[in-house]
Amino acid sequence: MLLQSPADAYVPFVYPLPIWDYWPWLILPLCAGVAIVYKSVKCGTMKEVPREALVIFVWMLVGFACAAGALAGVVRWVVEK
Amino acid sequence: MSDAQTNNNVPPPLVALAGWLLPGAGYWIIGQRVRAVTVCVTILAVFVFGILISGIRVVQAPDLSGPGSIPQRILQRPWFIGQILNGPVGLAAAYVSDQLAESPTYRNIEAKARLAEIGTLYTAIAGMLNLLTIIDSANRATHWGHV
Repeated sequence: MLLQSPADAYVPFVYPLPIWDYWPWLILPLCAGVAIVYKSVKCGTMKEVPREALVIFVWMLVGFACAAGALAGVVRWVVEK
Repeated sequence: MSDAQTNNNVPPPLVALAGWLLPGAGYWIIGQRVRAVTVCVTILAVFVFGILISGIRVVQAPDLSGPGSIPQRILQRPWFIGQILNGPVGLAAAYVSDQLAESPTYRNIEAKARLAEIGTLYTAIAGMLNLLTIIDSANRATHWGHV
């Protein structure tokens, strides 16, 4: 979907957010949300949650970065072959 | 607010129902207020942010009046299963989305490609996280005296 004329003013929650160039960064709030809820379920007391959620948030990002690097390597290797 | 004590006097099905009606409400009625507020704010934030990213048309209920069996029709929009786990918020979003689909002004406004996928992912993951909290709160109501 693209805005087609000046009359098509951006309406939040109706039009998609105009962030086509920044979509990879959208992984950050999603991982943060998953980390907080997951650790809220897992931890015995809520005092542990901030630290535990931060740790798993970082691990998720490291995992995604490794997976992205590995897939990029595979794609490049296949293309170069 | 304290989450040290769990109230075991509430039937687990009621806890689960409360958790579906409002994310985190299951924890609230068993006395785990901090946990309730944390998961409620987080799950609703993820759901609302998904709609903000892609627009509300990302929540689309399956057309149950179409051809084929009901499971087939539901599986045409499988992400709605995740989105409906957000409770009435998901239903309300689907209703508004349906209204916009019939609006002459907004019927063609729909996210495509990556933004649609990302918004769908956000809204469905919010619902699946809510399912996790529903199961956990009902389990705590069943088994745990102290947390």
